[in-house]
Amino acid sequence: MTAEHSAATYGEVVERDVVIVGGGPAGLSAAARLASAGLAVTILDEQPELGGQYYRRPAPAVARQWGDHRPEGGRLIAQVRAAGAECRTGHLVWGVEDDGRTLLASDDAEHPVRLRARYLVLATGAFERVFPFPGWQLPGVTTPGFAQHLAASDHTTVGDRVVLAGSGPFLLPVACSLIELGVSVAGIAEAGRPYRPSLRALGTLGHPARLRELASYAARLARARVPIWQETVVLRADGRDRVSSVTLAAAARPARPVRTVEVDALCVGYGFRPQTDLARMLGCQVRVDVASGDAVPVTGAAGRASRADVYVVGEAAGIGGVHAAKARGLAAAHDILTREGRSAVPVSEARRMMSARRRLARFTALTDSLYPGPAALLATLAPALPADTVVCRCEAVRAEEIRTTAAGSADGDLNATKAWTRAGMGPCQGRECGFAVAGLVRSVMPGRGVGDGESRVEIFPSRLPVRPVPLATLLELAGPESQKGDA
Amino acid sequence: MTTAQGRTGRRAGPGRAPQTEIVVDGDSVQAVDGISLAAVLVGERRWSLRRNPVGGDLRGPFCGMGVCFECEVTVDGRPGVRACITKIYAGMRVETATEGEAPHDR
Ligand SMILES: Cc1cc2nc3c(=O)[nH]c(=O)nc-3n(C[C@H](O)[C@H](O)[C@H](O)COP(=O)(O)OP(=O)(O)OC[C@H]3O[C@@H](n4cnc5c(N)ncnc54)[C@H](O)[C@@H]3O)c2cc1C
Ligand code: FES
Repeated sequence: MTAEHSAATYGEVVERDVVIVGGGPAGLSAAARLASAGLAVTILDEQPELGGQYYRRPAPAVARQWGDHRPEGGRLIAQVRAAGAECRTGHLVWGVEDDGRTLLASDDAEHPVRLRARYLVLATGAFERVFPFPGWQLPGVTTPGFAQHLAASDHTTVGDRVVLAGSGPFLLPVACSLIELGVSVAGIAEAGRPYRPSLRALGTLGHPARLRELASYAARLARARVPIWQETVVLRADGRDRVSSVTLAAAARPARPVRTVEVDALCVGYGFRPQTDLARMLGCQVRVDVASGDAVPVTGAAGRASRADVYVVGEAAGIGGVHAAKARGLAAAHDILTREGRSAVPVSEARRMMSARRRLARFTALTDSLYPGPAALLATLAPALPADTVVCRCEAVRAEEIRTTAAGSADGDLNATKAWTRAGMGPCQGRECGFAVAGLVRSVMPGRGVGDGESRVEIFPSRLPVRPVPLATLLELAGPESQKGDA
Repeated sequence: MTTAQGRTGRRAGPGRAPQTEIVVDGDSVQAVDGISLAAVLVGERRWSLRRNPVGGDLRGPFCGMGVCFECEVTVDGRPGVRACITKIYAGMRVETATEGEAPHDR
């Protein structure tokens, strides 16, 4: 807890020039600029510390003992605090009031907080794209991001012998982090064939920044003799109370086993998806990206959404990596300052920023093109998913039930399928199963969804609250009367 | 009592980093001060934290970023605390909820 604020009996109300949701690279970049220009800024994050995913802070004891893996994150946070931004950690923003502009949050003691601002900046980041397989709900099966956080900020290993699987460039740095801690990485299963003819060839492509970074990870993995199985996917995970082996298959024939590997942890992810629920709840227009099947807010160059008082920045506005996230945060800050008539950005700086963002976008497109697109992945993985696979982890809904319902009573409609089966209705709000459920529905009703024109692309709608809210918060928000009645 | 020292090799050794003691299901557990509760539990290889309310099968941390709710435990009497976005402090009392029905055949 950093900011001074009293917990009012019910519904503390905060009014600011700017409220920023999300304290990752994007939100922090915006906050530093806006607060140092003199605006009253509040930045909220549900995590106990600012930093978001990329700048997740190690505990001080870890940093002292093993070093800080990303000291620039610490400096950016210090800059935000020094500039006078009010930093509210442990604050979950879970909804929007009926007026369409008041954010509803709960603080670290579960007290309700209402926030209003002339400008709202949504910097809620991304979450990992996962796809189910039999046994993915076993303890010891995680996302690669979890393994990365354990290694980088908690200096803890996810397992002793680990397989990483899924797709995308992120698997490589995670494998490197694990190796550094002495974990045996038994192999990396990559669904695509991005590394041609070999991993090392990446370095010769001559593209700076992201590809060179990838090449350096690749070199480290080669030195550690970590095999990379390309065009390979997870067929299933086995184990009693915890994962003990993983069976892999060729991506082209995802039902036929090719290799079983003993592991004590398995980390599977297919990149990231933007977290757009608050933007949608605020009535901002979103479009569905046909290639990924993800909802992406419609924004102008500076991140301005279809509502003029709302900005969406960072990975919440589309996946692009940390540099793009920071550039988008800054661009939004500059746009707000210009509208406020404060310290307009010099033309030369604005031009530099524009070209930097274009360059970043090109790199993202380039790296993306190396890996299979999410829609293509779904088309191969969804039809092959065994009938009894638990697809919705929260509500324990299996593939067969989703297929039967989608083809039957739901008539190919994603939301009807959700309502009938309860898939996507649990506490994670479909963030973990949404991608797969959409794919399953589409696989039995190929006439619907992606590939059939944008108007027919379907995703789960945003629902209030974005995360389960403690009952105590709701009672307090409703006022003393409701609590009396309850007692 | 289990100590992190005893797990060196299974997880990166704690070295000289300051340790804190917390209590997990009645067991005293030593871990590096201020790391995430999920890290302490996974470092101890205590993966199972709860049972799925529908299927009854054991679950453990999955996303590590507050999204999946698979890491919910009770902390100092407060239920539904996500271990992955909670830092440990001295004397923290943690209860998992792994008792109960074994899962039906799967
Ligand atoms: C688990 C994980 C690990 C990652 N690790 C790496 C890595 O090692 N290297 C790399 O290059 N990229 C990594 N990424 C990609 C990463 O998303 C970007 O590089 C970068 O962090 C994006 O910055 P951002 O500011 O857009 O969002 P984020 O850094 O994701 O920050 C968003 C913040 O918003 C907060 N938030 C979201 N919704 C709410 C809400 N409703 N109420 C309150 N707070 C909220 C979150 O707690 C989070 O702190 C990782 C992503 C994930 C999901
Ligand atoms: S591991 Fe997913 S919420 Fe904690």
